[in-house]
Amino acid sequence: MLEAIILEKTKNSPEIILDKENNTFKIAGRSIVEDPGEFYSPIYKWLEEYVKNPLKSTDFIIDLEYFNSSSARQIMEIIMLLEKISDTGQKAKISWMYEEGDEMSKERGDEIKLVSKLDFEIKEYPAEDF
Amino acid sequence: MTTKTIYDFYKLLENDNISFSYRGGFTNNVLTTATQLFKENIGEEHSKLKNKLSFLMIESFQNISRYSEQEGNDILEDTSEFFMTRNVGDTFYIISANLIDNDKIPTVKEKLERVNTLDKSELNKLYREVLTNKQISEKGGAGLGFIEMVRKTKGKLPFDFVKVDEKQSMFFMQIELKNPKVDDGLEPLPLSDAKFVQEIVADENILMMHKGDFSKEAVGPMLRMVEENMQNVSLKVHKKIFHFLVEILQNISKHAYPINEKREGIFQIGFDDNKFHIGTGNFIAKDEVANLKNQIEMVNSKTKEELNELYRKYLREGKSTKTGSAGLGLIDLARETTDKINFEFIEINNNYSFFSLTVNF
Repeated sequence: MLEAIILEKTKNSPEIILDKENNTFKIAGRSIVEDPGEFYSPIYKWLEEYVKNPLKSTDFIIDLEYFNSSSARQIMEIIMLLEKISDTGQKAKISWMYEEGDEMSKERGDEIKLVSKLDFEIKEYPAEDF
Repeated sequence: MTTKTIYDFYKLLENDNISFSYRGGFTNNVLTTATQLFKENIGEEHSKLKNKLSFLMIESFQNISRYSEQEGNDILEDTSEFFMTRNVGDTFYIISANLIDNDKIPTVKEKLERVNTLDKSELNKLYREVLTNKQISEKGGAGLGFIEMVRKTKGKLPFDFVKVDEKQSMFFMQIELKNPKVDDGLEPLPLSDAKFVQEIVADENILMMHKGDFSKEAVGPMLRMVEENMQNVSLKVHKKIFHFLVEILQNISKHAYPINEKREGIFQIGFDDNKFHIGTGNFIAKDEVANLKNQIEMVNSKTKEELNELYRKYLREGKSTKTGSAGLGLIDLARETTDKINFEFIEINNNYSFFSLTVNF
């Protein structure tokens, strides 16, 4: 079994959960890392292994309130890796989450959906009360 | 705000190792940002001054709210107040400006003149006297803040009142903190320099300005500042400002031409005609000018829809390496702004040029 990657979010990087055993796959928070290639490379390595032998159904949650343009490229890379899951006959989908009223995150999701070949769902969740 | 004014502003602050100015409604968030920015970015040789500097910034800030007639809490709400900190050579300057009722001027002036003429032991005596004086007025105290500023800096407090109208004046004050371990042999900057900066930011409607070394931790405090001081603008505008800031500031930190191992740049946010303006300036290696110019001209020549298509193409394929092809960041910048990207290159010498850019939205 692939060992899970769990990273807590920081002020510049998102929370990452890649946990095959518990069927949880998630990127959440903010991704404005200056060197996204370095930050995301262990994630790619993990996913490259995972897509060879995935679970029956993979629901990958992306809940990013903000990402810089170089991170956009990395997120797309993740999605393109997940597209390979269909070669194994298993299913994969993206759940793009955004907070109610956050048009920019929704628009970014709409756009990535356009270029993605995966089942892609865009879901709104209620804004947090302060 | 034009690309030319960015260069002029940069020249004005050329000798500043770091400077930050803010104009608008004041909240503690502004203070937090300013103190963080300086804590994380001042030179190693000044590290012993950090605590004193934070303390003085807090005093200066409280002074603004103590003597000010306005109570704003958002950057767009009230733009009469001004705060600036800068480091030139071995000295740190903290400048505050705010409106004050003309009839209060004599009292404030008297307090300042008093602390400016006392020596160390007289100041300590006055400090104790004021501390134990039960008749201290509620607002304004008896100048404890001023006494503390003078005690901590071992210097004077230059100040001035500039009449605005029959009712109010602009009250300027400067705190000077000199590093005793370093001597640059320079004369301190006169208060008139700060007044001139205040005049420009007011004329140009600049809300926030930062000049410094962008390879350091400058992006973080700036972003927090925008997040916390722009609660009144819509989430969409808020996110856009945030977005532009990240892209532009990270760009400077990556691509600015290093001079004395620093990647210097200047950054401004302005607001007028119901639009936000972000302007940046930095040095760039001369052999990169043509390529960057091509890229900006390319994105400027495209329609929003063409830019969207290009963006989506690059998302999947990655940026091609051929000259003249713009990165995702630049495409994104171009499609989110209301007007074209304004830019200018000013040749400085054979090695580098000054690159300034403004966007409106």
